[in-house]
Amino acid sequence: MGTAIQIQNVNFAYGAKQVLHDVTLDIPDRQVTAFIGPSGCGKSTLIRCINRINDRIPGARVTAGSIHIHGIDIHREDLNLQELRRRVGMVFQKYNPFAKSIYDNVVFGLRIAGVKNRAELDDAAEKALTNAALWDEVKDRLHTSATGLSGGQQQRLCIARVIATEPDIVLMDEPCAALDPLATLKIEELITELKKKFTIVIVTHNMSQATRCSDRTAFMYLGKLIEYGGTLQIFENPKDPQTEAYITGAFG
Amino acid sequence: MNQPHIFHEIDNSMTGLKDKILLMASLTRQNLERAIQALLTRDIDLARMVIGDDSDVDDLEVKIDQQGMDILIRFHPVASDLRLVITSMKTAHNLERISDHAVTIAKRARKICKSSEPLETNIIEPLYTMAETLLRDALLAYTDANTDLGEGLKSCDKQLDAAHKEVVALLSSRLENSEGRAESLLHLILVARSLERIGDLAVNIGEDSVFLSEARDIRHDKRKSSDLGENPA
Repeated sequence: MGTAIQIQNVNFAYGAKQVLHDVTLDIPDRQVTAFIGPSGCGKSTLIRCINRINDRIPGARVTAGSIHIHGIDIHREDLNLQELRRRVGMVFQKYNPFAKSIYDNVVFGLRIAGVKNRAELDDAAEKALTNAALWDEVKDRLHTSATGLSGGQQQRLCIARVIATEPDIVLMDEPCAALDPLATLKIEELITELKKKFTIVIVTHNMSQATRCSDRTAFMYLGKLIEYGGTLQIFENPKDPQTEAYITGAFG
Repeated sequence: MNQPHIFHEIDNSMTGLKDKILLMASLTRQNLERAIQALLTRDIDLARMVIGDDSDVDDLEVKIDQQGMDILIRFHPVASDLRLVITSMKTAHNLERISDHAVTIAKRARKICKSSEPLETNIIEPLYTMAETLLRDALLAYTDANTDLGEGLKSCDKQLDAAHKEVVALLSSRLENSEGRAESLLHLILVARSLERIGDLAVNIGEDSVFLSEARDIRHDKRKSSDLGENPA
Protein backbone atom coordinates (compact mmCIF):
# COMPACT_ATOMS: atom_id res chain seq x y z
CA MET A 1 0.00 0.00 0.00
CA GLY A 2 1.68 3.18 -1.23
CA THR A 3 1.37 6.70 0.05
CA ALA A 4 -1.18 8.85 -1.78
CA ILE A 5 -0.73 12.08 0.15
CA GLN A 6 2.41 13.14 1.95
CA ILE A 7 1.94 16.08 4.31
CA GLN A 8 5.24 17.28 5.75
CA ASN A 9 5.72 19.87 8.49
CA VAL A 10 2.82 21.98 7.27
CA ASN A 11 2.06 25.32 8.88
CA PHE A 12 -0.99 27.19 7.69
CA ALA A 13 -2.27 30.67 8.47
CA TYR A 14 -5.32 32.79 7.80
CA GLY A 15 -3.50 36.13 7.55
CA ALA A 16 -1.58 36.53 10.79
CA LYS A 17 -3.45 33.76 12.56
CA GLN A 18 -1.62 30.44 12.38
CA VAL A 19 -4.08 27.55 12.54
CA LEU A 20 -1.95 24.52 11.61
CA HIS A 21 1.31 23.82 13.38
CA ASP A 22 3.93 21.51 11.93
CA VAL A 23 1.52 18.83 10.72
CA THR A 24 3.14 15.73 9.27
CA LEU A 25 1.35 12.59 8.11
CA ASP A 26 1.31 10.13 5.24
CA ILE A 27 -2.11 9.16 3.93
CA PRO A 28 -2.13 5.71 2.31
CA ASP A 29 -3.47 4.98 -1.13
CA ARG A 30 -6.94 3.41 -1.42
CA GLN A 31 -7.76 3.54 2.23
CA VAL A 32 -10.12 5.71 4.25
CA THR A 33 -8.40 8.15 6.58
CA ALA A 34 -10.53 10.02 9.11
CA PHE A 35 -9.65 13.36 10.70
CA ILE A 36 -11.28 13.82 14.10
CA GLY A 37 -11.01 16.51 16.74
CA PRO A 38 -13.03 19.28 18.39
CA SER A 39 -14.37 22.23 16.38
CA GLY A 40 -11.64 24.65 15.44
CA CYS A 41 -8.83 22.09 15.71
CA GLY A 42 -7.85 22.55 12.06
CA LYS A 43 -9.10 19.31 10.52
CA SER A 44 -11.24 21.04 7.87
CA THR A 45 -8.44 23.49 7.14
CA LEU A 46 -6.04 20.58 6.66
CA ILE A 47 -8.34 18.65 4.32
CA ARG A 48 -8.89 21.83 2.29
CA CYS A 49 -5.13 22.23 1.93
CA ILE A 50 -5.00 18.96 0.00
CA ASN A 51 -6.80 20.36 -3.06
CA ARG A 52 -5.74 23.95 -2.34
CA ILE A 53 -9.31 25.11 -2.05
CA ASN A 54 -8.14 27.40 0.76
CA ASP A 55 -6.36 29.43 -1.92
CA ARG A 56 -9.69 31.11 -2.61
CA ILE A 57 -9.62 32.78 0.81
CA PRO A 58 -7.61 36.03 0.79
CA GLY A 59 -4.57 35.81 3.06
CA ALA A 60 -4.93 32.07 3.61
CA ARG A 61 -1.77 30.16 2.82
CA VAL A 62 0.56 27.31 3.71
CA THR A 63 3.45 29.16 5.35
CA ALA A 64 5.81 26.23 5.76
CA GLY A 65 6.14 22.58 4.82
CA SER A 66 4.92 20.72 1.78
CA ILE A 67 2.14 18.52 0.47
CA HIS A 68 2.85 15.91 -2.19
CA ILE A 69 0.22 13.87 -4.01
CA HIS A 70 1.68 10.74 -5.52
CA GLY A 71 5.05 12.44 -5.36
CA ILE A 72 3.98 15.74 -6.96
CA ASP A 73 4.41 18.93 -4.94
CA ILE A 74 1.00 20.63 -5.11
CA HIS A 75 2.56 24.04 -4.48
CA ARG A 76 5.01 23.98 -7.32
CA GLU A 77 4.69 26.98 -9.64
CA ASP A 78 3.76 25.17 -12.84
CA LEU A 79 0.98 23.13 -11.23
CA ASN A 80 -2.33 23.14 -13.10
CA LEU A 81 -4.81 23.95 -10.34
CA GLN A 82 -7.80 22.78 -12.35
CA GLU A 83 -6.12 19.43 -12.94
CA LEU A 84 -5.29 19.18 -9.21
CA ARG A 85 -8.95 19.67 -8.31
CA ARG A 86 -9.99 17.10 -10.91
CA ARG A 87 -7.63 14.60 -9.36
CA VAL A 88 -8.61 15.58 -5.82
CA GLY A 89 -12.39 15.85 -5.64
CA MET A 90 -14.32 17.19 -2.69
CA VAL A 91 -17.68 16.51 -1.08
CA PHE A 92 -19.01 19.06 1.39
CA GLN A 93 -21.10 18.94 4.52
CA LYS A 94 -24.15 20.54 2.88
CA TYR A 95 -25.02 18.70 -0.28
CA ASN A 96 -24.91 21.22 -3.08
CA PRO A 97 -26.27 19.92 -6.38
CA PHE A 98 -26.59 22.53 -9.09
CA ALA A 99 -30.11 23.62 -10.07
CA LYS A 100 -29.90 21.38 -13.08
CA SER A 101 -31.00 17.89 -14.01
CA ILE A 102 -29.51 14.83 -12.31
CA TYR A 103 -27.70 14.00 -15.56
CA ASP A 104 -26.30 17.50 -16.03
CA ASN A 105 -24.99 17.46 -12.46
CA VAL A 106 -23.11 14.21 -12.93
CA VAL A 107 -21.46 15.18 -16.24
CA PHE A 108 -20.78 18.76 -15.19
CA GLY A 109 -17.08 18.21 -14.51
CA LEU A 110 -16.60 16.25 -17.71
CA ARG A 111 -18.16 19.01 -19.79
CA ILE A 112 -15.89 21.54 -18.11
CA ALA A 113 -13.00 19.26 -19.07
CA GLY A 114 -14.17 19.44 -22.70
CA VAL A 115 -15.94 16.13 -23.18
CA LYS A 116 -18.77 16.64 -25.67
CA ASN A 117 -19.45 13.19 -27.07
CA ARG A 118 -22.94 12.22 -25.93
CA ALA A 119 -22.28 8.48 -25.74
CA GLU A 120 -19.16 9.08 -23.69
CA LEU A 121 -21.09 11.36 -21.31
CA ASP A 122 -23.92 8.82 -21.02
CA ASP A 123 -21.49 6.05 -20.16
CA ALA A 124 -19.68 8.19 -17.60
CA ALA A 125 -22.97 9.25 -15.99
CA GLU A 126 -24.18 5.67 -15.65
CA LYS A 127 -20.83 4.51 -14.30
CA ALA A 128 -20.59 7.35 -11.76
CA LEU A 129 -24.19 6.95 -10.59
CA THR A 130 -23.70 3.19 -10.29
CA ASN A 131 -20.52 3.66 -8.26
CA ALA A 132 -22.36 6.16 -6.08
CA ALA A 133 -25.11 3.54 -5.50
CA LEU A 134 -27.69 5.86 -7.00
CA TRP A 135 -28.25 4.52 -10.52
CA ASP A 136 -31.17 2.22 -9.71
CA GLU A 137 -32.96 5.01 -7.88
CA VAL A 138 -32.63 7.65 -10.62
CA LYS A 139 -32.13 5.87 -13.95
CA ASP A 140 -35.73 6.58 -14.99
CA ARG A 141 -35.61 10.28 -14.17
CA LEU A 142 -32.14 11.40 -15.16
CA HIS A 143 -33.43 14.56 -16.75
CA THR A 144 -35.53 15.74 -13.85
CA SER A 145 -34.27 18.34 -11.39
CA ALA A 146 -31.62 17.17 -8.92
CA THR A 147 -33.22 19.29 -6.20
CA GLY A 148 -36.19 16.91 -6.20
CA LEU A 149 -34.07 14.15 -4.69
CA SER A 150 -33.97 13.39 -0.96
CA GLY A 151 -31.07 14.75 1.11
CA GLY A 152 -29.22 11.44 1.11
CA GLN A 153 -29.73 11.05 -2.63
CA GLN A 154 -28.51 14.61 -3.25
CA GLN A 155 -25.34 13.86 -1.29
CA ARG A 156 -24.76 10.66 -3.25
CA LEU A 157 -25.36 12.68 -6.43
CA CYS A 158 -22.63 15.09 -5.30
CA ILE A 159 -20.34 12.08 -4.78
CA ALA A 160 -21.27 10.82 -8.26
CA ARG A 161 -20.42 14.26 -9.66
CA VAL A 162 -17.01 14.09 -8.02
CA ILE A 163 -16.16 10.55 -9.09
CA ALA A 164 -17.41 11.09 -12.67
CA THR A 165 -14.16 12.89 -13.38
CA GLU A 166 -12.23 9.87 -12.12
CA PRO A 167 -10.19 11.53 -9.39
CA ASP A 168 -7.45 9.74 -7.43
CA ILE A 169 -8.56 11.18 -4.12
CA VAL A 170 -11.95 12.09 -2.68
CA LEU A 171 -12.02 14.53 0.23
CA MET A 172 -15.17 14.51 2.35
CA ASP A 173 -15.80 17.29 4.83
CA GLU A 174 -18.48 15.98 7.23
CA PRO A 175 -20.44 14.42 4.38
CA CYS A 176 -23.18 13.03 6.63
CA ALA A 177 -23.65 15.98 8.98
CA ALA A 178 -26.97 16.93 7.38
CA LEU A 179 -28.28 13.40 6.83
CA ASP A 180 -30.54 11.08 8.82
CA PRO A 181 -29.09 7.81 10.25
CA LEU A 182 -30.18 5.60 7.35
CA ALA A 183 -28.91 8.00 4.69
CA THR A 184 -25.69 8.18 6.73
CA LEU A 185 -25.31 4.40 6.64
CA LYS A 186 -25.80 4.42 2.85
CA ILE A 187 -22.99 6.97 2.51
CA GLU A 188 -20.77 4.90 4.82
CA GLU A 189 -21.47 1.77 2.77
CA LEU A 190 -20.63 3.81 -0.31
CA ILE A 191 -17.36 5.03 1.24
CA THR A 192 -16.39 1.42 1.98
CA GLU A 193 -17.01 0.52 -1.67
CA LEU A 194 -15.33 3.63 -3.07
CA LYS A 195 -12.06 2.99 -1.26
CA LYS A 196 -11.41 0.12 -3.66
CA LYS A 197 -10.93 2.74 -6.36
CA PHE A 198 -10.14 5.99 -4.57
CA THR A 199 -8.15 7.29 -1.63
CA ILE A 200 -10.65 8.83 0.77
CA VAL A 201 -10.04 11.43 3.44
CA ILE A 202 -13.01 12.22 5.65
CA VAL A 203 -13.49 14.86 8.31
CA THR A 204 -16.06 13.76 10.84
CA HIS A 205 -17.37 14.72 14.25
CA ASN A 206 -19.05 11.35 14.46
CA MET A 207 -16.55 9.03 16.09
CA SER A 208 -18.73 5.99 15.55
CA GLN A 209 -18.57 6.83 11.87
CA ALA A 210 -14.78 7.02 12.02
CA THR A 211 -14.63 3.60 13.71
CA ARG A 212 -17.08 2.07 11.25
CA CYS A 213 -15.62 3.16 7.97
CA SER A 214 -12.04 4.42 8.30
CA ASP A 215 -8.80 2.44 8.20
CA ARG A 216 -6.69 5.14 9.81
CA THR A 217 -7.57 7.99 12.14
CA ALA A 218 -5.82 11.26 12.86
CA PHE A 219 -6.72 13.18 16.02
CA MET A 220 -6.08 16.91 15.86
CA TYR A 221 -6.24 19.52 18.58
CA LEU A 222 -5.44 23.23 18.51
CA GLY A 223 -3.98 22.98 15.02
CA LYS A 224 -1.63 20.13 15.87
CA LEU A 225 -1.71 16.49 14.91
CA ILE A 226 -1.79 14.78 18.30
CA GLU A 227 -2.00 11.16 17.24
CA TYR A 228 -2.27 9.23 13.99
CA GLY A 229 -2.61 5.50 13.61
CA GLY A 230 -4.78 2.56 12.68
CA THR A 231 -8.40 3.27 13.58
CA LEU A 232 -8.73 0.23 15.84
CA GLN A 233 -5.51 1.13 17.66
CA ILE A 234 -6.70 4.72 18.16
CA PHE A 235 -10.08 3.64 19.54
CA GLU A 236 -8.86 0.62 21.54
CA ASN A 237 -5.60 1.87 22.92
CA PRO A 238 -4.71 5.47 22.13
CA LYS A 239 -1.14 6.36 23.04
CA ASP A 240 -1.71 10.03 23.84
CA PRO A 241 -3.77 10.99 26.93
CA GLN A 242 -5.38 13.85 24.96
CA THR A 243 -6.67 11.37 22.37
CA GLU A 244 -7.94 9.11 25.14
CA ALA A 245 -9.71 12.02 26.81
CA TYR A 246 -11.30 13.21 23.57
CA ILE A 247 -12.59 9.89 22.28
CA THR A 248 -13.94 8.82 25.67
CA GLY A 249 -15.66 12.17 26.19
CA ALA A 250 -13.53 13.19 29.16
CA PHE A 251 -12.09 16.23 27.44
CA GLY A 252 -11.61 19.81 28.55
CA MET B 1 -10.13 7.13 32.98
CA ASN B 2 -9.09 9.52 35.73
CA GLN B 3 -10.67 12.55 34.10
CA PRO B 4 -14.44 12.77 34.53
CA HIS B 5 -16.59 12.36 31.45
CA ILE B 6 -18.44 15.39 30.12
CA PHE B 7 -21.58 13.26 30.22
CA HIS B 8 -21.63 12.32 33.89
CA GLU B 9 -24.01 9.44 33.40
CA ILE B 10 -21.08 7.51 31.89
CA ASP B 11 -19.08 7.96 35.12
CA ASN B 12 -22.09 6.91 37.18
CA SER B 13 -22.58 3.75 35.12
CA MET B 14 -18.89 2.84 35.17
CA THR B 15 -18.69 3.38 38.93
CA GLY B 16 -21.81 1.26 39.39
CA LEU B 17 -20.24 -1.52 37.36
CA LYS B 18 -17.03 -1.47 39.37
CA ASP B 19 -18.95 -1.37 42.66
CA LYS B 20 -20.84 -4.50 41.65
CA ILE B 21 -17.57 -6.26 40.84
CA LEU B 22 -16.18 -5.30 44.25
CA LEU B 23 -19.31 -6.59 45.98
CA MET B 24 -19.18 -9.82 43.98
CA ALA B 25 -15.48 -10.21 44.79
CA SER B 26 -16.16 -9.70 48.48
CA LEU B 27 -18.96 -12.30 48.52
CA THR B 28 -16.86 -14.78 46.54
CA ARG B 29 -13.90 -14.48 48.90
CA GLN B 30 -16.26 -14.84 51.86
CA ASN B 31 -17.81 -17.98 50.33
CA LEU B 32 -14.39 -19.49 49.76
CA GLU B 33 -13.19 -18.69 53.29
CA ARG B 34 -16.37 -20.13 54.82
CA ALA B 35 -16.17 -23.29 52.70
CA ILE B 36 -12.65 -23.96 53.95
CA GLN B 37 -13.64 -23.13 57.53
CA ALA B 38 -16.54 -25.57 57.23
CA LEU B 39 -14.10 -28.25 56.10
CA LEU B 40 -11.46 -27.56 58.74
CA THR B 41 -13.88 -27.18 61.66
CA ARG B 42 -16.38 -29.82 60.47
CA ASP B 43 -19.15 -27.21 60.49
CA ILE B 44 -22.08 -28.49 58.42
CA ASP B 45 -24.20 -25.36 58.99
CA LEU B 46 -21.45 -23.16 57.61
CA ALA B 47 -21.16 -25.44 54.56
CA ARG B 48 -24.91 -25.11 53.97
CA MET B 49 -24.63 -21.34 54.25
CA VAL B 50 -21.99 -21.29 51.50
CA ILE B 51 -24.18 -23.40 49.22
CA GLY B 52 -27.13 -21.08 49.83
CA ASP B 53 -25.21 -17.81 49.40
CA ASP B 54 -23.87 -18.77 45.99
CA SER B 55 -27.09 -17.57 44.38
CA ASP B 56 -26.20 -13.98 45.40
CA VAL B 57 -22.99 -14.29 43.39
CA ASP B 58 -24.89 -15.77 40.44
CA ASP B 59 -27.36 -12.88 40.53
CA LEU B 60 -24.52 -10.36 40.53
CA GLU B 61 -22.94 -11.97 37.48
CA VAL B 62 -26.22 -11.57 35.60
CA LYS B 63 -26.57 -7.95 36.77
CA ILE B 64 -23.00 -7.10 35.76
CA ASP B 65 -23.48 -8.61 32.30
CA GLN B 66 -26.72 -6.66 31.89
CA GLN B 67 -25.13 -3.40 33.05
CA GLY B 68 -22.16 -3.99 30.74
CA MET B 69 -24.47 -4.49 27.78
CA ASP B 70 -26.46 -1.40 28.75
CA ILE B 71 -23.25 0.66 28.77
CA LEU B 72 -22.20 -0.73 25.38
CA ILE B 73 -25.59 0.13 23.89
CA ARG B 74 -26.02 3.55 25.48
CA PHE B 75 -22.54 5.04 25.47
CA HIS B 76 -20.55 3.18 22.78
CA PRO B 77 -17.43 3.22 24.99
CA VAL B 78 -13.97 3.15 23.46
CA ALA B 79 -10.38 2.86 24.71
CA SER B 80 -10.07 2.46 28.51
CA ASP B 81 -13.85 2.70 28.96
CA LEU B 82 -14.39 -0.20 26.57
CA ARG B 83 -11.67 -2.22 28.25
CA LEU B 84 -13.25 -1.62 31.66
CA VAL B 85 -16.62 -2.93 30.49
CA ILE B 86 -15.16 -6.00 28.79
CA THR B 87 -12.79 -6.78 31.66
CA SER B 88 -15.52 -6.35 34.27
CA MET B 89 -17.81 -8.78 32.46
CA LYS B 90 -15.00 -11.33 32.19
CA THR B 91 -13.98 -10.82 35.83
CA ALA B 92 -17.58 -11.40 36.91
CA HIS B 93 -17.58 -14.67 34.98
CA ASN B 94 -14.34 -15.79 36.65
CA LEU B 95 -15.65 -14.82 40.10
CA GLU B 96 -18.83 -16.79 39.50
CA ARG B 97 -16.77 -19.86 38.67
CA ILE B 98 -14.63 -19.35 41.78
CA SER B 99 -17.76 -19.18 43.89
CA ASP B 100 -18.95 -22.40 42.24
CA HIS B 101 -15.72 -24.02 43.38
CA ALA B 102 -16.39 -22.71 46.90
CA VAL B 103 -19.75 -24.47 46.71
CA THR B 104 -18.03 -27.65 45.51
CA ILE B 105 -15.68 -27.45 48.50
CA ALA B 106 -18.62 -26.84 50.86
CA LYS B 107 -20.45 -29.88 49.47
CA ARG B 108 -17.35 -32.07 49.90
CA ALA B 109 -16.92 -30.64 53.42
CA ARG B 110 -20.51 -31.58 54.25
CA LYS B 111 -19.89 -35.15 53.11
CA ILE B 112 -16.58 -35.39 54.97
CA CYS B 113 -18.28 -34.08 58.14
CA LYS B 114 -20.84 -36.85 57.94
CA SER B 115 -18.09 -39.47 58.08
CA SER B 116 -17.19 -40.60 61.60
CA GLU B 117 -13.58 -41.35 60.59
CA PRO B 118 -11.06 -38.58 61.46
CA LEU B 119 -9.34 -36.95 58.48
CA GLU B 120 -6.25 -34.68 58.24
CA THR B 121 -8.11 -31.88 56.44
CA ASN B 122 -5.41 -29.39 57.42
CA ILE B 123 -3.24 -30.92 54.65
CA ILE B 124 -5.06 -28.68 52.15
CA GLU B 125 -4.69 -25.51 54.26
CA PRO B 126 -1.49 -24.34 52.50
CA LEU B 127 -3.26 -24.74 49.16
CA TYR B 128 -6.10 -22.56 50.41
CA THR B 129 -3.66 -19.91 51.63
CA MET B 130 -1.99 -19.81 48.21
CA ALA B 131 -5.27 -19.76 46.27
CA GLU B 132 -6.71 -17.06 48.51
CA THR B 133 -3.56 -14.94 48.13
CA LEU B 134 -3.75 -15.33 44.36
CA LEU B 135 -7.39 -14.26 44.37
CA ARG B 136 -6.72 -11.29 46.63
CA ASP B 137 -3.82 -10.11 44.45
CA ALA B 138 -5.83 -10.60 41.24
CA LEU B 139 -8.61 -8.41 42.61
CA LEU B 140 -6.08 -5.80 43.73
CA ALA B 141 -4.62 -5.83 40.23
CA TYR B 142 -8.12 -5.13 38.87
CA THR B 143 -9.07 -2.39 41.33
CA ASP B 144 -5.67 -0.65 41.48
CA ALA B 145 -4.74 -1.16 37.80
CA ASN B 146 -1.59 -2.83 39.14
CA THR B 147 0.02 -4.42 36.09
CA ASP B 148 3.02 -5.86 37.94
CA LEU B 149 0.75 -7.65 40.37
CA GLY B 150 -1.42 -8.97 37.52
CA GLU B 151 1.58 -10.28 35.60
CA GLY B 152 3.21 -11.82 38.67
CA LEU B 153 0.30 -14.15 39.36
CA LYS B 154 1.45 -16.74 36.84
CA SER B 155 4.57 -17.60 38.81
CA CYS B 156 2.56 -17.82 42.07
CA ASP B 157 0.12 -20.12 40.33
CA LYS B 158 2.96 -22.42 39.34
CA GLN B 159 3.82 -22.77 43.04
CA LEU B 160 0.19 -23.60 43.75
CA ASP B 161 0.20 -26.19 40.96
CA ALA B 162 3.32 -27.83 42.44
CA ALA B 163 1.84 -27.84 45.93
CA HIS B 164 -1.39 -29.32 44.55
CA LYS B 165 0.56 -32.17 42.95
CA GLU B 166 2.29 -32.93 46.24
CA VAL B 167 -0.96 -32.93 48.21
CA VAL B 168 -2.68 -35.17 45.67
CA ALA B 169 0.30 -37.57 45.74
CA LEU B 170 0.22 -37.66 49.54
CA LEU B 171 -3.52 -38.24 49.73
CA SER B 172 -3.38 -40.86 46.97
CA SER B 173 -0.67 -42.76 48.87
CA ARG B 174 -2.94 -42.87 51.92
CA LEU B 175 -5.78 -44.28 49.86
CA GLU B 176 -4.07 -47.69 49.72
CA ASN B 177 -4.44 -48.38 53.43
CA SER B 178 -7.37 -46.08 54.04
CA GLU B 179 -9.86 -48.68 55.22
CA GLY B 180 -13.06 -46.70 55.86
CA ARG B 181 -11.61 -43.33 54.86
CA ALA B 182 -11.28 -43.81 51.11
CA GLU B 183 -14.38 -41.80 50.18
CA SER B 184 -13.37 -38.88 52.41
CA LEU B 185 -9.85 -38.92 51.01
CA LEU B 186 -11.28 -38.74 47.48
CA HIS B 187 -13.41 -35.77 48.55
CA LEU B 188 -10.28 -34.09 49.90
CA ILE B 189 -8.42 -34.71 46.64
CA LEU B 190 -11.28 -32.98 44.80
CA VAL B 191 -11.17 -30.09 47.27
CA ALA B 192 -7.48 -29.71 46.42
CA ARG B 193 -8.41 -29.80 42.73
CA SER B 194 -10.92 -26.98 43.27
CA LEU B 195 -8.29 -24.85 44.99
CA GLU B 196 -5.91 -25.43 42.12
CA ARG B 197 -8.62 -24.33 39.66
CA ILE B 198 -9.32 -21.22 41.74
CA GLY B 199 -5.65 -20.31 41.25
CA ASP B 200 -6.08 -20.62 37.47
CA LEU B 201 -9.19 -18.42 37.54
CA ALA B 202 -7.38 -15.82 39.67
CA VAL B 203 -4.61 -15.77 37.03
CA ASN B 204 -7.31 -15.10 34.40
CA ILE B 205 -8.48 -12.09 36.39
CA GLY B 206 -4.89 -10.86 36.69
CA GLU B 207 -4.34 -11.22 32.95
CA ASP B 208 -7.52 -9.31 32.21
CA SER B 209 -6.35 -6.59 34.62
CA VAL B 210 -3.19 -6.13 32.55
CA PHE B 211 -5.41 -5.75 29.47
CA LEU B 212 -7.52 -3.23 31.38
CA SER B 213 -4.51 -1.12 32.34
CA GLU B 214 -2.35 -1.36 29.25
CA ALA B 215 -4.45 -2.94 26.48
CA ARG B 216 -1.87 -5.74 26.44
CA ASP B 217 -3.11 -9.30 26.05
CA ILE B 218 -0.80 -11.60 28.02
CA ARG B 219 -2.98 -14.71 27.87
CA HIS B 220 -1.16 -17.73 26.52
CA ASP B 221 2.05 -15.71 26.63
CA LYS B 222 4.58 -18.53 26.96
CA ARG B 223 7.52 -16.15 26.87
CA LYS B 224 6.18 -14.15 29.80
CA SER B 225 5.49 -17.31 31.72
CA SER B 226 9.07 -18.52 31.27
CA ASP B 227 10.37 -15.13 32.33
CA LEU B 228 8.72 -15.55 35.67
CA GLY B 229 10.69 -17.86 37.84
CA GLU B 230 11.59 -20.37 35.14
CA ASN B 231 14.70 -20.92 33.11
CA PRO B 232 14.57 -18.31 30.30
CA ALA B 233 16.80 -20.41 28.07
